[in-house]
Amino acid sequence: MRIAVTVKQVPETGDVKMDEVTGTLVREGCESIMNPLDLHAVEAALVLTQNHGGEITVISMGPPDAERALREALSMGCHQALLITGRAFAGSDTWATALALSHALRQCGPFDLILCGEKATDGETGQVGPELAALLDVPLVTYVGRIVEVQKGKIIASRYLEDGCEKIEADLPALLTVVRAVNSPRLPTLRGKKAARSAGISHLDESQLGLDPERIGLRGSPTRVEKIYRPQITRTSRIFHATDEKKAQDAVEEYITFLREKGVLR
Amino acid sequence: MLFNPVDQEVLEELARIVGKNNVCVDRERLLAFSRDETPPERYQHLPEVIVTPSKAAEVAQILRYASRRRIPVTPRGAGSGLSGGAIPCHGGIALSCERMNRILEIDEINMVAVVEPGVVTNELNREVEKRGLFFAGYPMSLETCFIGGNIAENAGGGRAVKYGVTGRYILGLELVTPTGDILNLGGKRVKDVSGYDLKSLVIGSEGTLGIITRAVVKLLPLPTAKVDLLVLFREVKEAIEMVPRIMTELRVIPTSVEFMDEVAFTVSCRYINENLPYGEAGAMLLVEMDGTDLERVELEAEEVGERMLEGGAIEVYVADNYTTQERIWSVRRSIAEALMVESPHQSLEDIVVPLSAIPELIVHLRRLSDTYNISIPCYGHAGDGNLHATLVKNPHMSMEEWYRVQDAALDDLYHVVKELGGALSGEHGIGLKRCSFFERICDPAELALMRRIKRVFDPAGIMNPGKIFCA
Repeated sequence: MRIAVTVKQVPETGDVKMDEVTGTLVREGCESIMNPLDLHAVEAALVLTQNHGGEITVISMGPPDAERALREALSMGCHQALLITGRAFAGSDTWATALALSHALRQCGPFDLILCGEKATDGETGQVGPELAALLDVPLVTYVGRIVEVQKGKIIASRYLEDGCEKIEADLPALLTVVRAVNSPRLPTLRGKKAARSAGISHLDESQLGLDPERIGLRGSPTRVEKIYRPQITRTSRIFHATDEKKAQDAVEEYITFLREKGVLR
Repeated sequence: MLFNPVDQEVLEELARIVGKNNVCVDRERLLAFSRDETPPERYQHLPEVIVTPSKAAEVAQILRYASRRRIPVTPRGAGSGLSGGAIPCHGGIALSCERMNRILEIDEINMVAVVEPGVVTNELNREVEKRGLFFAGYPMSLETCFIGGNIAENAGGGRAVKYGVTGRYILGLELVTPTGDILNLGGKRVKDVSGYDLKSLVIGSEGTLGIITRAVVKLLPLPTAKVDLLVLFREVKEAIEMVPRIMTELRVIPTSVEFMDEVAFTVSCRYINENLPYGEAGAMLLVEMDGTDLERVELEAEEVGERMLEGGAIEVYVADNYTTQERIWSVRRSIAEALMVESPHQSLEDIVVPLSAIPELIVHLRRLSDTYNISIPCYGHAGDGNLHATLVKNPHMSMEEWYRVQDAALDDLYHVVKELGGALSGEHGIGLKRCSFFERICDPAELALMRRIKRVFDPAGIMNPGKIFCA
């Protein structure tokens, strides 16, 4: 089967710093890595091709430096990589990103299956996958925690929802977004790394993709960021002083009364 | 040695020195100060009081008073030690460095930082990293341990192959002696041969010669590129034999070469839910290379990896970003904790031998395991010959039998280590745990000299008694 996996290069957030004034992520000096959830999508694709044969194309949109994320996917065992890159794409929101990805996937397709990570750790929107499915007009299964089986042009996957699992059968081609539980990504091997280092990565720009410049980048992005702020957490705490044994008794009484008032105790 | 108890008068005097709020006899806190990372059922001992001074002058007053009144004083950092160094085994005063926790200065021109002993090692690194610098000390507990404890124990860790141990980065110390003198040893200078090197004597003296109240630590330019290899071997022997070849054949000095045997990595992977395909493996090496040029570091890593494959490695995994590096290092870092969960009764050892002697040591560990009918998982810093062989209680043994077997096996092990040109402890210290073995293994004349030095610093014998030497 032919599988496409979309990946995004994101700042490593293990040691992330926030700008106190703007409330945004400080990207300077931050290492760039492949979005951790995309690693699970890559792994899912690798397992499927191991079992069913086929080929995996990994695709990203970003600056030329995003090649690093693509090479990580190649070193894990993906077969080819595409990078949509160019100044015209700068400032793309999820919609413009999904549009560019959909053009590239149409051009390089057809694919039997498209796999995406649930969301990226920087934007946390989780929108690109579903938007891409809509633009490609293929069935969508989100939050996939287990791929049950693939056969005869159909895929059965289990979605992990807040209060349970939901098993869904979809016709192929389809698009799945996967959650962490789906698998444990393999580590790249030395042989994989070496092969990936010399592998060619095709670059695609807006003209190659036949995209109207008005529909990409900042101009093609309907999303407007009005304001970014850190939510203020306000707590009104009450302290019951129990500095000695006698006061402790009173404090316990007071505390019980307080809990009763709040309806926690009856 | 006979010590006096901490009575009301002592408590009042301590309160006068450090303030009432910094003298504590609360049982919960005393309990927390009664142990470190050694098995509590064997080594735990309560202090009578905890004092938390804020500066050298207060420490000096406390020590002078304790010397006069013959009250033992046990210094304490974060309590993450592995030899019982911070355990107040004679009761008395536990002196905590927790309030002396300021980074006083980061001097970029001299590439040093001046710190108080209660600074957490990683906090210092976080601060200096912003200026492109780093402190090369790297104990495995760096998230919690204090610099003061690192210096007192001369802590080693995972980067010693390339960077050496803590002592190499200590240029100066402010030391309060048990008699209450405040000494400034060394300073912001790289060279110093003026008189005896007392600073080096204090480093690694396990809190028996005084209390460190300030340190000048050397900083290095922060390496910006780092690649890790996780290498799987079928046999322990194959893995161990590869270690020196990295340096002798490829002329590469790795930052770390960590070894893990089958029990160690299996237990750890299970503990942290790591699903690496290690089914066929009997040993693993974790090799790290760092530098300032990523391409060059990658090339070195590739050469090392290739050589490992030629040497019989089953697979070589490459981690060149934070995510994957953390993933493979957590296998190594979680071993001790995972083994503890698996079997709480164990003796975590810290033997060190010349690199060339590791294969023979491994053979002896197998023999000990058979002879004493206990399992001995082994892991550690293979690149510098420092291995954490861990004696684990056989579940069928009673505790009494276990203590007897443990002592016999350790005596056997330490004699083997000495024969091989090694030492009892590479980085954890003698402390409380190994002092009786140390007295038997150490050359008598050397031991006698050490005791005399101790007496010169500490005539009343109040400074961390029961450590290094049995009291």
